[in-house]
Order: sequence, then structure tokens, then C-alpha cells
Amino acid sequence: MAVTPVSLELWRNLLGSVADEMGVTLGRTAYSANMKERRDYSCAVFDAKGAMAAQAAHIPVHLGAMTASVRAALDHLGLNEGDVAILNDPYLGGTHLPDVSLIAPVFVDGELAGYVANRGHHADIGGMAPGSLPVATELVQEGVIIPPLLLIERGVMNDALMALICRNTRTPEERQGDFAAQLAAVRTGQRRLEALARRYGLAVVHEHMAALLDYAEALTRAALRAAPEGSYRFEDAMDDDGVSGEPKPIVCTARIADGYVTFDFTGTAQETEGCVNTPLAVTESAALYAVRCVVGGDMPQNDGVRRAVGVDAPSGSLVNANPPHAVSGGNVETSQRITDVLFGCLAQALPDRTPAASQGTMNNVLVGGRDPRTGRAFTYYETTAGGMGGGPSRAGAAAVHSHMTNTLNTPIEAMEFAFPLRLRRYAVRRDSGGRGRHPGGDGIVREVEFLSPAKLTVISERRESGPYGLAGGGPGAPGVNELRRADGKAERVPAKATLDVGPGDVFRVSTPGGGGWGAPE
Amino acid sequence: MARTLLGIDTGGTFTDFVLLREGRVTVFKTRSTPSDPSLASVEGIRALETPPDAEVVHGTTVATNALLQRRGARTAVVTTAGFEDLLQIGRQARSDLYALEYEAPVPLAPAELRLGVAERVGADGAPALALTEAEAERVAREVRKLGAEAVAVSLVFSFLRPEHERMLGDALARQDSLFVSLSSDVLPEFREYERTSTVTVNAYVGPVMDGYLRRLEEGAGRKVTIMQSSGGSAPVGLTRAHPVRTILSGPAGGVIGARMVAEAAGYREIMTLDMGGTSTDVSLCPGEAQMSTGHSVGGLPIGVPAIDIETVGAGGGSIARLDRGGALRVGPESAGADPGPACYGVGEEPTVTDANLVLGRMSPDDFLGGRAWLDVGRAQAAIDGLASAGRMSREEAAAGVVRVANAVMERAMRAVSLERGFDPRDFALVAFGGAGPQHACELAEALDIATVFVDRRPGVLSALGAAAGDTIRDYSRTVMARQADDASKVEDAFAALEALGKSELAAEGIDPASVRVEQRMDARYVGQSYELALERPEVEHANGLLAAVAEAFHAAHGRRFGYSNPNAPVEVVNARVRAVVAAEPLAFERRPRVEGAPQPRRTARAWFDGGWRETPVYAREDLAPGHAFEGPALVAQMDSTTVAPPGWAAEVDELENIILTRKEGR
Repeated sequence: MAVTPVSLELWRNLLGSVADEMGVTLGRTAYSANMKERRDYSCAVFDAKGAMAAQAAHIPVHLGAMTASVRAALDHLGLNEGDVAILNDPYLGGTHLPDVSLIAPVFVDGELAGYVANRGHHADIGGMAPGSLPVATELVQEGVIIPPLLLIERGVMNDALMALICRNTRTPEERQGDFAAQLAAVRTGQRRLEALARRYGLAVVHEHMAALLDYAEALTRAALRAAPEGSYRFEDAMDDDGVSGEPKPIVCTARIADGYVTFDFTGTAQETEGCVNTPLAVTESAALYAVRCVVGGDMPQNDGVRRAVGVDAPSGSLVNANPPHAVSGGNVETSQRITDVLFGCLAQALPDRTPAASQGTMNNVLVGGRDPRTGRAFTYYETTAGGMGGGPSRAGAAAVHSHMTNTLNTPIEAMEFAFPLRLRRYAVRRDSGGRGRHPGGDGIVREVEFLSPAKLTVISERRESGPYGLAGGGPGAPGVNELRRADGKAERVPAKATLDVGPGDVFRVSTPGGGGWGAPE
Repeated sequence: MARTLLGIDTGGTFTDFVLLREGRVTVFKTRSTPSDPSLASVEGIRALETPPDAEVVHGTTVATNALLQRRGARTAVVTTAGFEDLLQIGRQARSDLYALEYEAPVPLAPAELRLGVAERVGADGAPALALTEAEAERVAREVRKLGAEAVAVSLVFSFLRPEHERMLGDALARQDSLFVSLSSDVLPEFREYERTSTVTVNAYVGPVMDGYLRRLEEGAGRKVTIMQSSGGSAPVGLTRAHPVRTILSGPAGGVIGARMVAEAAGYREIMTLDMGGTSTDVSLCPGEAQMSTGHSVGGLPIGVPAIDIETVGAGGGSIARLDRGGALRVGPESAGADPGPACYGVGEEPTVTDANLVLGRMSPDDFLGGRAWLDVGRAQAAIDGLASAGRMSREEAAAGVVRVANAVMERAMRAVSLERGFDPRDFALVAFGGAGPQHACELAEALDIATVFVDRRPGVLSALGAAAGDTIRDYSRTVMARQADDASKVEDAFAALEALGKSELAAEGIDPASVRVEQRMDARYVGQSYELALERPEVEHANGLLAAVAEAFHAAHGRRFGYSNPNAPVEVVNARVRAVVAAEPLAFERRPRVEGAPQPRRTARAWFDGGWRETPVYAREDLAPGHAFEGPALVAQMDSTTVAPPGWAAEVDELENIILTRKEGR
């Protein structure tokens, strides 16, 4: 079967549905609210060389990073029939420790058809604070580090490894349930890819995986050719790293030429003592996401895009960190700022398409403790949406997740059934969007009351400066973290902090508004 | 008792009528009257000389259209103070990951119509802040002042303690001509956003639906019952209070109609394929239609039970094009009824219908019973444009359009079967809608389905399903009972919901003795947040209920997801009660088998498996029970063509259905 316009579309559907079905299995069988209710996971199919051929659209920050996971598993383990690899090591194929990936080969009659992989965000993976996104200074504080290892070797489960991992988390049973779901998704993907190979033949599978990569590359190059060639520089900064209190600049020069873009991060801050370092895979995810937005349409997400995108990130910088630096906030926070910087570059090339900055943070809130109703340990993780930037054609959307994340909230009633918490307020933060012809979207105000003693961790950004406006539009309002103690005393909580809270204390997070676009009329 | 039943289904272009009298089926079609859909309905009732004692069941999209076109009432929303923006925030997620400038759905109620009320109930059902009469009155006055025509009330944890909503409801009811809707009535289930969205939609479409039902009953001079999203019908009074339960009723009638005709012919395990002009609806019935609650319409969640239907944007009018990367895409853009496919004579762009025509898979002369001719030359020209752009032959391009459209539909078929833990090979594919019988056999091959079933009248199954379906009313309540809890939490909910159902139906003149009550529950592992629906297990002692539920849940989880965790505790999330007044099974007229082979009217050239084949074309009315023929063959009728590809054998049964069977090795 030669590749034709028809077969290309058929295989886009066929491989896409393999990834989708893995996602359905994972979402339905996952145990924790984080994976199930918030859908913080991704699934993908890879060709026999480890290039991503299809991905279910879930979480952008997982986009580019999945390929790095497969690559690491292949480099360190090789993968035989019946093997399933597990890893979360940010410096060996992972992104941050809560994101645990499973990778498995798919063999058909002894021949390699490709690989399937999925990644889920576990609500706790151990470390110094519940939720495993602590304000840390080295990786080992952030949780259990899993280098590429075989969870299943030639069909035999390594129960000892599973036990060791789960025992090192605060909620071992929940972890087991989530890992079972990830394994079920791997099996779904293997079954589906094998069925395709049996039905159409292995050669046809390989041929069309390659064709779909070429197809995505062609679409990407066409979109980049439509942008004026040139060099575009932009700079923005992280508020701080949670330790030093100093801003950390991120600098990028985008060079667009001949249907190819290079993002050069020369000039970016050095890797840092705090937790906002990013492994290269996260920086690549941001680059792929930004380019993907520029291409538009419903192009399949695969590694063909990567062939038109280069990332030059100096080793030892904030955007290409080395061990043993802490990274928990890199994936959730620095990734957002990197994206802001990339769009700042692209806005110069494509001023009539590119919006102002969105909230630029995920406002991570983690709460851990013991539920007095059951006596059991709990960990609760939530990210809160904010404003999107206004753009050339419309105002920014309010109260919605932007750029590198798209997780759902935990419903108030689900949260209060499951955790000793009470939500006091969950509202649009009026007038927080930046001014402009097309104003930025408003952020959110969310107030949580603690009903029992607990440990609270906040990892947030854009608390010092607001998301930038464009074309004369004003910046969005910066976010604010506040704690009102049961005795009425109020205190500002830093952008990144871990603190003890007690019954009657209320934590309020006010998320940033988006930047405005165009001078206000 | 031989009842006379009339089913009326309002579609975008035509309103279909099916009159059932003593086993005889009379069909009538007239143009829909979108400005007041009751006009077409009344016309049909008169045209068919419907006897005054006939039961009229109506499937209407009045509420759906009011919602999609945003023509509902000025609606206020009352929530617990602090959560006024719930409708706007939703679940915080965006529906398009890669839009540079994302356009969020606009809430049905703008900020100035969203009011907070000082009250709070906790997760234990106890009031953390009690609602005062004065506060309820204040809110009611405020709603009035805002000029709202309808109001939705949705308070946090109101399903645990509905008293606060009822106090507000009483205060609001004292305001004149205000449509009041409480979340503890409409959807007493947890997850506040989905509940609030559902009750808001209910209020938003309430006054529109109310006006329509009045005009319809006046015009028809009789009582009617209304098709619900659940696939059953409900009296007008209940529909007026809960119009949101009709929002997804459009495709539901077809599923029920298909199930009915298939069952009469001995097929109980079916997959339905309803392929229309712009989209295709697929559903699975392992004996019964399956329900689900996670639907959304126009981006707004609707949490009331509806038949589990997957809809994809591929239909006869779907437009084919080559994208910038050189892939052939079909839909979701559709030429619709206007301009329609190129072969209708106005449109220019190639559609799935044009591809079928070019491939000889539909008969250009028999369309609409010969009332309209299809322009083969125009279809060829449109397909040729695609072919030259993609460097394909005309036939390759046309066959490609059909294959790609099939691939889109196949995803929906996989979703309702494999993704839900069912093996499609155990099912017969029941194809209807204008284009369903054209594509069904090839789709069946893709999923290894051996049998395709085409009813005598594939164009009016929705009206048939409306006419002959059960009367159904669904009730639910979140209970959150864990295994260690007393079963009375669940039993009390079942008893209360059953009593409510019987009294509501009695108020509509239905004898409680005729009501059958079904009990189900949604359960999950403690800590999970996705529920599985279970039948209530049989137990000898009431206190064994929760243990029996747990056992049933482990089994169901294993079936659906491939594993279970017998050591994990199970909780019952929702109690569900369905009150059913069963319709009499239809006695379809059976005709004796005839000997001999059917005579084709003519032969045509049709494209199969990469080549042109001489293909007999049968007229549907010439086919009689006992007739058998082999593919390739076409069966033409007024609003549909059945395609039997090579490798398929067709036989007409005593009910005049065409049963297509795949031959071995195919």
C-alpha cells in the first residue's frame, strides 16, 4: 500500500485513535482525582526508531518531553518483547518527579512495530513536602527518583520495584491504582498497534508512521515560511527561584529562515539553587507548543514538527539544567515563562496573529496532612487558571488555563468530600486583565479554608510583575498569595513557599490577569 | 388493547410521521416549519386523519435549537455566595489547546444576572451557614428587579440538603411569571459546575419550550407526550418542568426505533448507525440502549441521563478537500441542505454524496422517489477537482472520500464499543438515516461485524421510535455511601425517588400500578472520581446490599477496564431510579415468504474494490420476504440507497428488512 492522500488521512485516524484509546483507558481507570478528574496525563505512539508518530492532545507540557522518555528508555535499557520501562528522572528522560512515564515496545511476531508510552502526574511521589512540588534546593528533596528501569521484564512484574516506589510516597495505595491505570493504558496501546500491524502489515505501519512525520514537517515548514525571515529577540524573567529572591531572566533569540526556526537561549540566567530549573526536554516542549500554535489547524502532533524546530539552550542554564538541581517548578512554572518569551519573539515576526502574555503561571497549591474524618493521610493538588492575553482579533479569555497546561479543576463538592478543606470563594478576579483595545482576560480568586492541621506548599509566578501587554496594551495584574489565620491575622505568602496551616486558616490565591493588546481607545 | 400511536419527529428539513394502527404502518413526510415547528406537526396530524384517541408522541428540537441559537429566556442564576462565577469558570480548561486566540464559550447568564446568596451546606450535609427567610426574600426581589424571565438556583451540596433551594424556590415562586428551576429538582447530583450548567440550561429553554408546547396542544386539539433524551417519552406537564431532558432527544428516537425493529426481527445486540447530511450518530444497544450522563451541547455540560450516542462530523453533505500537507480530509464542514452536495445542482464542492454518486453507489434517477434527479456530471466535476489536486484518478478520489468518511465513522463505532469494553463482533449493525445503508457494509467489515440490518423504512425510524417507545422518567440523587456505612442511606434514597416518580406520574394521570421501577446505582472505588453504573443487585437481607454492590462493582470494573481491586473499598455515589410505563411490544405485520429471485429494475456500473462492476439495482418495493441476492447490488428507495458490496449476501425477512451477511473469508 503506497502512501496516498487517502491512506495518509486513514493512518492519521488509525494512529490517532490508538493514542486516544490509551487516554480513554488511563482516564477511566486512574485512581487519583489528579489523573482522573483533572486529566493530568498524556499518551503517545512512537515509531520503531523512537520518534513520536501520534499523540492524544492532553497536556502541552508533555508534548515534546515524551520523546525524551522513550529515547532514555532505549538508550539505557534497550527494550525487549514483554518489557515495560518506568522512569521519572528529570535528567534521564523525565521532566519533574511527579510525572512518571511508562514505555513499552510493541512486537508483532518478533518484529518491532513501534512503542507506546504514557505519562501521568502523580499527586505525591515523596520528598520533603506533600504533593512533591516543594520549595527544594536539590532534586533528591523532591521525591523518589526513578531512573529508567524495567517495571516489567519479559512479562514478569518487578513487584519489589513497585513496592519500593509506592512505599516512598505518602499515598501508596493511590499510587498503585494510578500505576495500574498507566499499565492498562500501555496494554491498550500495544493491543491496538499490534492489531493494526496484523491487519495491514508491518511495512504499511512503518511507511505511514514515516509519512505522517513528513506530513507534519511539511505543514510546519509551510507555516514558518509564511513568517518573514529574520532574528527576533525577547526577554522576560522569573520572579525568583524560591531561595534567592532575585529575578531570573530568560532570553531568547528566534531565528526564522527557510521554513526553520531556531530558538537560542543565550543570555538566560544560570541554573539556580531553587526549584525552577528545567531539563532540556521541558524547554523543547515549550518550543514545540509555540510552533504548533503558529501552524494552527488540526495537524497531528508528532515529531515531524521537531524537524523544523531547533533549540539552542546553553548547558548549565536555567533552561537546560544539570543534576543535582531541583526542577519541580521548572515543568509547571518556568515552562510558562519560556512560552511567554517564545511568543514575545514570534509576536515580532507575526504581529497580526500573536496575543499578549497569558497569566504565565499555574498557581500550584499543594496541601497534605491527615484527614480527621478517616485518620488517613491525604494529598491534594490543584492548579488555578487565570487570564489569557488579549490578541489582535479579540480580548483575552478570563479564568482559563493557558499555554503549557489544560488540567481541569477539582469540583468543590468532590474536593470537600475527599479532603478536610472548604472552599470559601471561587470567582473571576475583576479588572485584573491588562488594559488595551483588546483587554487581557481576568484571573481568578480562590479561597480555601483548612479544617485540620496541614502543610501548604505554593509554587507560583508573576507575583512581582504582571504578564506583558503588546502593541500598546498594558500588563495584566500580578498574582497575590495571602493567608488569613484563624485569629484574623493576615499575611502575604511568597510566590514559592511551604508553611504550616491550621483549622480556620484561609488561603487566598488571586491569579494574574492576561496582558492587553493594542493601546486602549 | 390495540392502541393507535402517532410518532412525529421534527427534523431540520422534513417532519416525519409514523402512524401505527393494528400492526400497520403509515408514513407521512412534510417540510418542517422552522419559525413555528408546531405548524408542520399539526398539518401531519390532520393529513393522517389521526383518530382522537390516538396517542401522539413528539420528538422536538425546540429546546435544543433555542440553546444552540441562544434564543432562550433572560435567565438569572442564584448560587451560594462566593460562587457566582461558577458558570463562567467551568472546569478551567480550554476546548482548543493550540488556538493562538482562544474564544471561550459565553455563559448563558452574564455576570449581572448571577447572584450570590448567603448560605452554605457542608460535605456532611449540615448547614454551615443557615439561609434566612429575609435573605431568600432579598434574592427574590433582586431577581425580579433584573427583569429575569427565568431563574436557576444551584447551591453547593444542595443534593444533601435541598431545604435552602426550596426556600429560595418558594420566595421566587411568589414573583409573577418567572420560570423557576432548582438544581435539587433537576439534577440532585454532586459536581457543582455540571449541575449548575444543567439547571441553567433548563431555566434558559423553559419559557421557550412552554410556549411551544402550548401552541402545539392548542393546534392539535389534544394531549401529546414528548420524546426525552433518555429514549422514552414523558407527559407534557413533566416536560414543561424539565425541558433540559429533551435537549439530546434528537438522535434518541432513532436508536429506540432501530432497537425496536431489530428486536422484532430477532436481533437484540445491535449497534446503530444513523448517517445524515451533516453528521453521523452511533450507539450501542447490548439488549437495551445505554445511558450516560456526561454530555455537553454547544460547550455546556448537560448532566441528565441521555442515550449514550457518539456523534461525528461526517455525513452525506460533508465536504472533502486536500489540506496543505497533502492529506484528503472529509468534514466537519458540510454543504448541508443548502447549497447541498454538488450533484443537487447548486453547490460546487465535492461531498460524500457526490463521491457515492460518482462511484455508482446511488441511483441518480430514484432520489426522492424520482421527484429529483441528481446531476452526475456536476458530481464528477467536483470530484475531478479533488483528483487532480491529489494526482489521483477520479475513481481513486471518490473511493478515497468514502474511505476517509468511513474512517471518521469507524472511530465513533470503536468509541461506543471497544472503548466501553464491548466487542463489536457480537453486534449487528443497524443502518438508517439517508446515507447509513450506503456505508454500513464497509464499516461492518472494518470492525469485523458479520451482519448488517436495514429496515424497510430507514428514513423514519426516529418517528417510529417516538411512537412506540416506553414512557420513562429518570430520578437520581447523590448518596456517597461507603461499604462500611448503613445501607439505609441508599435504601432511603431509592424509596424517596420511587415515591416521587409515582406521584409525579400519577399527577399526569398515569396509574401507579402500571409503573415499573428500575433501581440502579453509580459506584466507584473510594478515591476514584469516575463512576460505573450498576443494576441494583438482588440481596436476601437489606444489610447485605453494600457488600453485594461491591462484588458487582469489582466484576464490572474488571469487564470494563481489565482489572479490579477486590481489596479496595467501594462507594455508592448516586442512587438512580427509572420509572417506566412499558409500551406494548409492536406487532409488526409479517408477510409470507415468496419463492424465486427478485428482479432488478436494471443494472448499473458501480465501483468496488478498485474496479467497475456490473451491479443490479433493485427497487425496494419489488423486494419481498424470502428474496435473496448477492453483492454487488444496490437497493434504491425514496430517501436511501442500500449498498451490498461484493462478498455480502442479502436476504429479505418476513418483516421486509434486508439482512446483509458477510461471507466467509471476507
